Amino acid sequence: MGRCGLGGQPVIETQGLCKTFRDFWRRPTVAAVRGLDLTVTAGEVFGLLGPNGSGKSTTIKMALGLLRPTAGTIRLFGFGPTDRRAKARVGYLPEVTHLHPFLTPRETLVYYASLFGLPLGEARRRAEELLEMVDLKGAAGRPVGRFSKGMARRVGLAQALVNAPDLLVLDEPTSGLDPVGCCEVKELIRLLASSGVTVLMTSHLLADMEDVCDRVAVLARGELRASGRTAELLRQPGVTRFLVDGLGAGEAESLRAELEARAGRPVCCDVPAVRLETFFMQVVSREGSARAFEVAPFLRAARQAREESGA
Amino acid sequence: MSASRARDAVAESVRRCCGVAAVALRAAVRTRMVAALLVLLAACVTGLPRVLKGDGTPSGELDILLRYTLGFSFGLLCLATLWAACALFAVEIASQRMHLAAVKPVRAAEFWLGKWLALLALGAALLTAVYGGVYAQVRVRAWRAGWSAEQRPAGRRVARPLLPSIAEEARETYALMRQRGELPPGLGPGAALRVLAEQAEERYEVLNPGDEVVWKFRLARPPRADEPLLVRLRFDTEYSTREQVAGLCRLWLADRPERVAEVALADFTLNEIVFAVDMRALVNGGAAAGRDVRLAFRHQGDPARASALMMRFRKDVAVLTPGGSFEANLARSALAQLGVLALLAALGLTLSVCFSPPVAAFCATVLLVLALVSGTVVGAVRETGEEGAWMRVGLRIARLVHDVAGQATREEPLESLTRGELIEGRALLAVWLWNGALAPVVLAVFGCGVLRRRELAAGD
Repeated sequence: MGRCGLGGQPVIETQGLCKTFRDFWRRPTVAAVRGLDLTVTAGEVFGLLGPNGSGKSTTIKMALGLLRPTAGTIRLFGFGPTDRRAKARVGYLPEVTHLHPFLTPRETLVYYASLFGLPLGEARRRAEELLEMVDLKGAAGRPVGRFSKGMARRVGLAQALVNAPDLLVLDEPTSGLDPVGCCEVKELIRLLASSGVTVLMTSHLLADMEDVCDRVAVLARGELRASGRTAELLRQPGVTRFLVDGLGAGEAESLRAELEARAGRPVCCDVPAVRLETFFMQVVSREGSARAFEVAPFLRAARQAREESGA
Repeated sequence: MSASRARDAVAESVRRCCGVAAVALRAAVRTRMVAALLVLLAACVTGLPRVLKGDGTPSGELDILLRYTLGFSFGLLCLATLWAACALFAVEIASQRMHLAAVKPVRAAEFWLGKWLALLALGAALLTAVYGGVYAQVRVRAWRAGWSAEQRPAGRRVARPLLPSIAEEARETYALMRQRGELPPGLGPGAALRVLAEQAEERYEVLNPGDEVVWKFRLARPPRADEPLLVRLRFDTEYSTREQVAGLCRLWLADRPERVAEVALADFTLNEIVFAVDMRALVNGGAAAGRDVRLAFRHQGDPARASALMMRFRKDVAVLTPGGSFEANLARSALAQLGVLALLAALGLTLSVCFSPPVAAFCATVLLVLALVSGTVVGAVRETGEEGAWMRVGLRIARLVHDVAGQATREEPLESLTRGELIEGRALLAVWLWNGALAPVVLAVFGCGVLRRRELAAGD
């Protein structure tokens, strides 16, 4: 996937990152992350994969300054994770969206915008654009506490974008969303990444990661087990697949027999199926449930500014 | 360029603080905390004056309205402020809402200040409502009962007798006792001076029938002919012979001793007498030349039947001069109490940063109880130098808590308000310097340090 990024500069760098949790008496209980070396470069979508307790969320929390590393270093844009210059460029969507339940989505977004020091007018403008983007304009006056998990997730996503971040950290971004919402979020991630935003995300849904991530790292028991470009990691060496449109059953069978005779090995021939997600989206878009995704104008402006500065 | 950057940085900082404050205020209003408090305070302001019965005098009614009603409402507000402050950070951290805010470029001090300002704004609004309710009741009662100008509450300046300072008196007594070898053997000079100072402050002077005492006063400004001076005397005497007590008060200007205003006092049934002195007898129109006045009191009771009068000259004798309106004094009292709320909010916030919600509330309550009890302990236990080690440690802790709490509650605005004494601007400033600035800054520095250092997320 080609990205118009910031020239491949490292956005997140970890070296020998370790995190050991301790009990009240300072005795070590769990080594959540062990000697993690990672580099996430500008403009890429980087996925952290791993089973429960593998250290994905702990790594993210250390990157955001919510946890302190036991050993090793972590740098964001060349700064420490608690440096305000780094924080000003980061958007974060946690695994569970804990929002103020008594605030409306509009107030929530204005509040988080104010934490970036934005003037009230600008904060309100961005809030409106983001509400439009995440399709919550109709529910903008209701308290977030009465929202479904999916709706709260959308508000969480909107707040992560309120500062037009250069780095978006998404912990299980599609958790709690319906398939349409999942697709929209993935589309948004792709759009943001194409505009130069670096994305670090975790997910249990491997298909989601496969769809959007340029690179992935697989963690298990706090250790890095594999990392690399998604396409390269998933390639099956020594296997070739032909896709031909419009062949009849007889023609296909004769071609298969021909190939088998030439290769001297069994050849598999089948009718490829679309993925269930694609099928679902085709159905709901026919019924008008899906909508074209519109990125908020201020995010487009930020993209333009990034492209100009990149140029 | 750098100046404009600094301005932008300040503006951004202000916006962040305001954002934090706005959310805290919305939380208070929308979680119905404010509504519940308003109902409680309304019940207190309207209910207490109906439940409590005064002695029927205007000052008795004022006592109930200003001392008890305002005092009880203020107590409620203190607890509400302290506990609300204890929850502000602690709940956000425990519920992980703080994660979203903490990853934004907000300084710990901006979080702290925003929340503190929200509590202060809330406290100010509720105090205004309480004071408004009480003021309305005072006006209605004054109008219905037709209180005279002297009976109506006011804010009068207080002049106390010019006496040697307590520290000076304690030093003199200490020197005398040392000379005579009367000092307790185990008591160090510091503790001895402290005990002597406490005794000097509370010491009663005895006035037997026939005795006369003259006090010197320096008023805030020269007395005027058209402004009567009020003299207030408080005393203790044997209850059964009060009717036999009589006295004569004489007041004159220090630079014109030949003109004396005399007031005969015969009714000592209450242990406080307030009377007005018509200054036209002493000042020839306009204002007098000097500020110094003398007040003499002679016990004229029958030596065979009347008991002695006991008075603490420093506390029980005062000359009151016009100082300001009751409304202004009420506002000053509210400001002084807001200062205490500011301190409690700061204390609660700092505890809230350090502990979980229930632990923070528990610690805050324990500190509050300690502060209240320490006064009783310090007052009840007199050091003799023969205490055991534990007793000494306990006394020291009690004294430390008492001193710190004493700084916060040094001014007693409701006491002044009830007595019609002007709450001085300097006193108000001192209250705010300690309660509203110095102590909160110390607590904020500590709290922000903890907030920066502590891990806000837990392990998965």
